[in-house]
Amino acid sequence: MDPKKVIVCRCEDVTLEDIYKAIEEGYTDLESLKRYLRIGMGPCQGAHCIPIVARILASKTGKKFDEIYIPGNRPPLNPIPLKYFLKKQQG
Amino acid sequence: MVGKADIVIIGAGIIGVSTAYNLVEKGIRNIVIIEKNYPGSGGSFRCATGIRASFTSEEHVLLMKESVKLWKELSEKHGFFYLRGGYVWLLSTEEQLELFKKFVEFHNSLGVPTRIISVEEIEKLVPTINTSGLVGGVYDPLAGKADCFKSLLLLLKYVRDKGVQVYTGTLARKIVVENSRVQGVETDKGFIEAKKIVVAAGYGSRDLLKTAGVDAPLNNLPKHALVTEKFNERFKPLLVDWSSTSYMVQTSSGTFLIGAEIEEEYNVKPVNRIEFLYKAAQVWVKYFPWLAEINVLRYWTGYYVMTPDHHPILGPIDDIDGLYVATGFSGHGFMMAPIVGKLMAEWIIEEKPSIPIAENLKLKRFREGKMIKEIAVFG
Ligand SMILES: Cc1cc2nc3c(=O)[nH]c(=O)nc-3n(C[C@H](O)[C@H](O)[C@H](O)COP(=O)(O)OP(=O)(O)OC[C@H]3O[C@@H](n4cnc5c(N)ncnc54)[C@H](O)[C@@H]3O)c2cc1C
Repeated sequence: MDPKKVIVCRCEDVTLEDIYKAIEEGYTDLESLKRYLRIGMGPCQGAHCIPIVARILASKTGKKFDEIYIPGNRPPLNPIPLKYFLKKQQG
Repeated sequence: MVGKADIVIIGAGIIGVSTAYNLVEKGIRNIVIIEKNYPGSGGSFRCATGIRASFTSEEHVLLMKESVKLWKELSEKHGFFYLRGGYVWLLSTEEQLELFKKFVEFHNSLGVPTRIISVEEIEKLVPTINTSGLVGGVYDPLAGKADCFKSLLLLLKYVRDKGVQVYTGTLARKIVVENSRVQGVETDKGFIEAKKIVVAAGYGSRDLLKTAGVDAPLNNLPKHALVTEKFNERFKPLLVDWSSTSYMVQTSSGTFLIGAEIEEEYNVKPVNRIEFLYKAAQVWVKYFPWLAEINVLRYWTGYYVMTPDHHPILGPIDDIDGLYVATGFSGHGFMMAPIVGKLMAEWIIEEKPSIPIAENLKLKRFREGKMIKEIAVFG
């Protein structure tokens, strides 16, 4: 399939071609690649795309998947509207 | 790993990277950057990306005026987002207004074009804001914001392409000094001999400097921030609510980033605290009722690396030949990076900064009792 047409990160609209290009430019660690393309920074928090990106990176760099993939998410794990923090003021 | 370099920079935050960049631009190539985690992993990728010259000491203003110019040049040359969208301080009492009149006068006297603005002007600059409770504001049109990811990553790529070696996942353990002269850096992957060493290690700087026998008054203060999902541009300026010392900015990617002060202690590990979310929501939903329905995507913590006078420690350490430091930005290191990188390169190569007042920021000011004075303490 045409890498231009394969969307890997749906929240931030990043295609397979974008990822190949960035890897070629030297963004060969997941943390830099993620920030360079904003992969995983949308509402899904990378739940869908980051493992896929890690796999692409592994195959392109010859590294092992486990060396590349570092799970870890910032809270809240699911998007939550600010109004839920309005109810009461603590402290 | 190479065993030798002319210059070793410890820390691949925006300060270490900008220092490398300026050295490269002066033709120096034999540079190694050591980063214990990944580039940007310290404060640099956690910041609110705000950039302004409207400070209340001459040192800060003169350096930041130059930095604001450099941000424009760098962003155009390397193609990353930078926007002079301004800062607006939201003021809710007459006392605050009086205080800010003094600041504005000071800024103007140094050529920074801040001005007091009316509530109506706030509404024009910040569409959809609910201004009830406000008496006025201050606008800094020269201030702005930049993409903290792309700016660091593109400058880092540039220096790498010019031959700078970057070792990530490599911890600097000890700065080796003999006869008051640096010898090199001991890392967890081996020793690197170096003629000059730059400590740009953010929150790790105090401990590293200690290994060289240098005691720097640096304290790491936990800070909290969140971002929401992204939207088309609603307003350009970074907003500061003066009463709660809290800020909100729509970042280059369209997310709203909110920081709010909650009580914290120095040098403790930052942890997520629900009070932060309560405070952020309480302050900003009042201004923007629509924000109540918007999703928070991420909440993170980071450190401000503080000094006693809230100004950075820059330049050579006078008693140790070849040792340089750039840290202690007290919450303003992102915006200062372009000028600090330039000044550091000048100190290293020409032994003199092009902005003479930068000399006031050397570490020895604390020993000599020459702390930086501000006209009043200011966020
Ligand atoms: C929530 C928040 C909001 C902020 N908002 C703004 C803002 O709007 N505008 C602004 O100008 N500033 C802001 N700041 C401050 C800004 O982020 C910092 O001042 C700036 O990033 C400092 O850059 P640095 O390169 O000195 O440090 P860092 O980015 O922390 O880089 C230091 C690097 O050194 C590495 N390191 C540490 N110890 C060692 C060691 N022993 N060996 C090897 N590597 C080591 C770290 O891993 C790190 O990557 C904010 C900070 C926070 C936390």
